[in-house]
Amino acid sequence: MTLIHFVVLSLTLCAIGVYGVLTRRNLIGILLSVEVILNGANINFAAFAHFRASDPAAGAIFPIFVMAVSGCEMAVALAIIISMYRRKKRLDVYKLEELNG
Amino acid sequence: MNILLLPDLLIILLAASILAIDLYRGKPQSTVSFHMSWIGLLVIFCLLIILPYDQEITYWGTYKVTGISLLFKQVFVLSSLCTVLLSAPYFKPGGNARGVLRYRSEFYFIILLCTFGMFAVVSATGLLTLFIGMELATIPLYILSGYQKEDSLSVEAATKYIIMGSLSTGLLVFGYSFLYGCAGSLSFKAISVFAMASPTDPLFRLGVLFVLAAIGFKLTIFPFHMWAPDVYDGAPTPVTAFISVSSKAVAIGFLLILVYGPLAPLHNYLQIILLILAGATMTVGNLGALKQKRLRRFMAYSSIAQAGYIIMAMAGTAAAAYSSIIYYLFVYAAANYAIFFIISIVGRNGEEEFKSLQGMGKQNPVLAAVLMLTLFSLGGIPPLAGFMGKFLLFAAAAERGFYSMVIFAALNSTISLYYYLLLVKEAYIIKPAIAPRVLVIDNIQRISLVLLTSAMVSLGLIPLFSSNIMAIVQ
Repeated sequence: MTLIHFVVLSLTLCAIGVYGVLTRRNLIGILLSVEVILNGANINFAAFAHFRASDPAAGAIFPIFVMAVSGCEMAVALAIIISMYRRKKRLDVYKLEELNG
Repeated sequence: MNILLLPDLLIILLAASILAIDLYRGKPQSTVSFHMSWIGLLVIFCLLIILPYDQEITYWGTYKVTGISLLFKQVFVLSSLCTVLLSAPYFKPGGNARGVLRYRSEFYFIILLCTFGMFAVVSATGLLTLFIGMELATIPLYILSGYQKEDSLSVEAATKYIIMGSLSTGLLVFGYSFLYGCAGSLSFKAISVFAMASPTDPLFRLGVLFVLAAIGFKLTIFPFHMWAPDVYDGAPTPVTAFISVSSKAVAIGFLLILVYGPLAPLHNYLQIILLILAGATMTVGNLGALKQKRLRRFMAYSSIAQAGYIIMAMAGTAAAAYSSIIYYLFVYAAANYAIFFIISIVGRNGEEEFKSLQGMGKQNPVLAAVLMLTLFSLGGIPPLAGFMGKFLLFAAAAERGFYSMVIFAALNSTISLYYYLLLVKEAYIIKPAIAPRVLVIDNIQRISLVLLTSAMVSLGLIPLFSSNIMAIVQ
């Protein structure tokens, strides 16, 4: 287990997340994909803090902030998605088509 | 405790007291929160003007107030002040054709907290402050753009915005993790030292690219600009204005801090990327604006193009880039808010489309003249502030010898003049098919338009402002 393993893992997670955001039709699925990206970044932080950082505490704290902030973001996102579900009765991104041009 | 932190503290205090008074009094129709917010913001702005600009103070090693950050704070406070004034009729029945906004004090609370987030971004000395500030400045915008819950367009805009925004947050955190991993610390100083020592490290460059892509979403840089027209069209008009000025200003501040701070050793390498992005962004914005029929969509493309001009100045030296961009932000804010005030007057009892402007020249010549002056300022016609702003931006790029880029931008600017004049044509020349509706103008709107127009004219004519900014930056 070296640093490179972790970086490869986190980049894979990032790729999976971006792929999910681009291909998923369900809004909840898209949000889960975003969470996968954020968790990939958190793994990155932890790995860098463990293997090479001169200031390992910062790398350990940053993921906690990321989790809190992404929690806020998801709360807002779910609220918006619920109010959209009330309007359109579907959670399909292809239903987001009123605004275009 | 130093006086330089006072504006930041006051804005939190103002936000908290607005919410507290609303909870205590509990009257949804009360206008107390409105008067508190605009008076409070005005006080904070006056405070920002009289603060000393030549001092520099770092609080707890992570929050630094400098003259430049105070200038950015002026832009943010003015922008939220304009948003508060712009939103006043939207909370009254009959104030807008799209419906009445509710929960007034929460609206102002969210705007003020968002502004504090922007303060934090321009005061950051490390990635952690930068990250938290950026999120505090962005997440409230998702809530605000979906503020008209009954309107399906508004909700759709919020959904699109939050999906794109959270993706960009993900990429941003990823970029930060690589910067941290290379430098070993979150502070800008350590990152700068690393960038100086090994500017070609692949992980470091990967991190920089991730950060650039993520900030591209917020700044609507091509190819990440797709969300902007939809969000601008769907969100309530005051929120659209806030997104188009404040959110853009904070993203520009963020980019300036990074490009001229920790990433300064990479500037030669970033220059080319920034110039290509700037060229593509202004072209896409200008071509997109040509075929629009709805006013707010049109403003979205126009602001994409403006973002392109602004990024172009980042190819220049630090002093030239900072002074020209901050000056341009003031100019851009004045012109954009004037347009959005006019859109809100037009949208009071009708669609916000090009043809709603027809007959304005006959019916309300003063308003039509203001519209024309504003569009000339955005297009960059000489006596107005827009010309001076664009001139400084182009000069910043020309100083480093990027003449072909400057010529390209000037050509783009000519295209933009064409579509700005389309609006003037609608207002003055085209005869309306049906009798035009009577435009009702509130006192708040009238006073704000007068102030914004005089700002637009005086910022261009009096060289005091731009030379002041240059003196502070150097």
